[in-house]
Amino acid sequence: MAERTDSDNFPQATLVPQKRRRISIVWIVPLFAAVVAIGIAIQRIMSEGPTITIVFRAAQGVEAGKTFIKYKDVNIGQVTKVQLASDYAKVEVTVKMDKSAAGLIVEDAKFWVVEPRVTLSGVSGLSTLLSGNYIGFEVGKSDKKQRKFTGLETPPAITSEQAGRHFALKAESLGSVGIGSPIYYRRLQAGQVIAYNLAPDGKSVDIKIFVNAPYDKYVNSETRFWNASGLDVSVGAGGVDVRMQSLVALLAGGLAFDTPNVVSKSEPVTANAVFTLYPDQTAAFKQPDTIAARYVLYFNESLRGLSVGAPVTLLGLPGGEVTDVGLDLDPKTMRVRGRVEITSYPERLVAHLNEKQLAAGRAMLRSGQERHALMQGLVERRGLRAQLRSGNLVTGQLFIALDFYPDAAKAKIDWSRDPVEIPVVPSTVQDLETKITGIVAKLDKLPYEAIGTDVTKVLVTLNQTLQDASKAVNRIDADVTPELKMIVGELRGTISSADGVLKSTDATLVGKDAPAQQDLRDALQEIARTARSLRVLTDYLERHPEALIRGKVEE
Amino acid sequence: MSAIPATAAEAGLLSCEYCHLLARPAGAGEPGFCPRCGAELSWRRHHSIQYTWALVIAAAICYIPANALPVLNTTTLGSTDSDTIIGGVVFLYTSGSWPLALVVLIASVMVPLGKLVALAYLLITVQKRSLGSNRERTRLYRIVEFVGRWSMLDVFVDTFTVALVQLSPLMSVDPGPGVLFFAAVVVLTMFAAESFDPRLIWDSNAGNEHG
Repeated sequence: MAERTDSDNFPQATLVPQKRRRISIVWIVPLFAAVVAIGIAIQRIMSEGPTITIVFRAAQGVEAGKTFIKYKDVNIGQVTKVQLASDYAKVEVTVKMDKSAAGLIVEDAKFWVVEPRVTLSGVSGLSTLLSGNYIGFEVGKSDKKQRKFTGLETPPAITSEQAGRHFALKAESLGSVGIGSPIYYRRLQAGQVIAYNLAPDGKSVDIKIFVNAPYDKYVNSETRFWNASGLDVSVGAGGVDVRMQSLVALLAGGLAFDTPNVVSKSEPVTANAVFTLYPDQTAAFKQPDTIAARYVLYFNESLRGLSVGAPVTLLGLPGGEVTDVGLDLDPKTMRVRGRVEITSYPERLVAHLNEKQLAAGRAMLRSGQERHALMQGLVERRGLRAQLRSGNLVTGQLFIALDFYPDAAKAKIDWSRDPVEIPVVPSTVQDLETKITGIVAKLDKLPYEAIGTDVTKVLVTLNQTLQDASKAVNRIDADVTPELKMIVGELRGTISSADGVLKSTDATLVGKDAPAQQDLRDALQEIARTARSLRVLTDYLERHPEALIRGKVEE
Repeated sequence: MSAIPATAAEAGLLSCEYCHLLARPAGAGEPGFCPRCGAELSWRRHHSIQYTWALVIAAAICYIPANALPVLNTTTLGSTDSDTIIGGVVFLYTSGSWPLALVVLIASVMVPLGKLVALAYLLITVQKRSLGSNRERTRLYRIVEFVGRWSMLDVFVDTFTVALVQLSPLMSVDPGPGVLFFAAVVVLTMFAAESFDPRLIWDSNAGNEHG
């Protein structure tokens, strides 16, 4: 450095700096910052999922910024805003979904608030006790995107990936079935009820069920579904038979299905096929009645105790049921009668035939003509009649019995009327009443006046007889009494002589100075004296025992 | 040009930036080295304005994500809360401790922004050869330089919290990406303040060209 100050040979440095790169390398720093910042921004925007709105009836435990949407326990979104809907009746929850879940937000996706739930069929959502409630999510099958949803009140019973099929049941009433009620196949839980609603006409209940995968193949066109809740107790000759599906079914209600063994032709069914829900297994397994004949019966007696559904029996075997109980008014004659409509299922009766006759019986049923001919023959030639009978003496339940009364008044069947009338005979109780009435009527007809006259005559005769008797007695009085008096006098004499005898005896034996008594008294006095001296002796001996040896010592 | 030279450069002298020894340059184009401390002498720092601009812009870019992104992720019983700086200020304010909110607002939001604005103002005035208030501008520069070393408080608090609150699985705190950008803002503004040559403020009067 020192040399440099000495030397002036070096070229003079210019004050103007040399041309350098105008752009310094330091600009890489803001460039880099910009790239990173923009990169993050782009990543943010790219990862931004769709924002959706879910409307809930109540958003219990849902908080903005804290509640997540979870699918398979993975967060796929976060609640950003919770506010009341514009009509104040619902809650609008705004959710920012993850980009990864954007494809899941389709039309039929389901959302519901997961909270701890304790139901008869299980406990769910316990994890939310710690983590707080979250919104459950279930993917849909549709491809149509949607941004506004309505949340479910309860979690869906089944998830979409669960293998199995949906079916629909038609029931008369819901019974104890609820959402989540189990469905059993041979006492294995095979599915559950997922929804129910009243049919549009209000006359039945539509129940939607889901049958899980291995079991759904056992559902075919002949499968019967029945209500399996509660106990099924039947008392038979073999004892008491109690059937119960499970304790859960007993408490929470349940359904069961099975295919009857007797059914040979069964076809596979598609999903969402509709079945009838029977009230119990017996009803479900009843043979379907393809032939049903309606008849009407007119009774002139009380129908109290006869209800719709009461059985109709032929020789005691069930073959139909009562479908209507009402009245029949004939305006001309002003006669009111009981009208009972019955439906007969001839197939059930034919089923009781033996094997040889079964085929013939079935063949006969197939033709309406032959059925009519059979019925006509039974009624007109064999005296088939309907009768009200008491099925239960305690409750007074009645049923209709078809039996043969060859003696009954002849009747004809008029096939032109619908329903056809079957002639009736009065019930046995009624019969008895009629008989008693008959007896009373006969009693009524007795000739009481004639009898009265006769009785009067008899009485007159009787009076005379009595008078005769009186005379006879008088006569006896007159003849016999004097003799009796005599006898009495003699008797008196005898008695007085007996009295004398007794008095003499008295003088010798029991009189005051009778000699026998005197002697007896003396003897007794003597004995008393002896006893006294003996006592003196013994007293002395007790004091002086030595006297026995030495003799009495003089004092 | 006034009779009394306003700067050393006008008098043909230059001062050492480190030991402040006033010396004659070794040559007109090449100032040489300080004869006392041996540091390289320069009339004015090379590309001071360009460097400072670059760093200020970089800091300004980083300032946006520093405030937009969360600085702390608090996980409590499975639910995660992400807090940005502004979110923290709002939380402190709504929970009643407005003085604390004010402190955080000033230290973490206003000060970095103020530094950026101040540096940009200095650069613009220097480039426009603005006259007047040189003294104020110099004071502003000194404040910026002084404040720089205190601006890392947020980052320190963040790291302490993250290190201390690790009560997994009950509660845990993780740093968010925002804190990185915040640190970048602080560091870049410090470098920017460092690269700015305050002598340029006074050059405006002389009309020298040492950009």
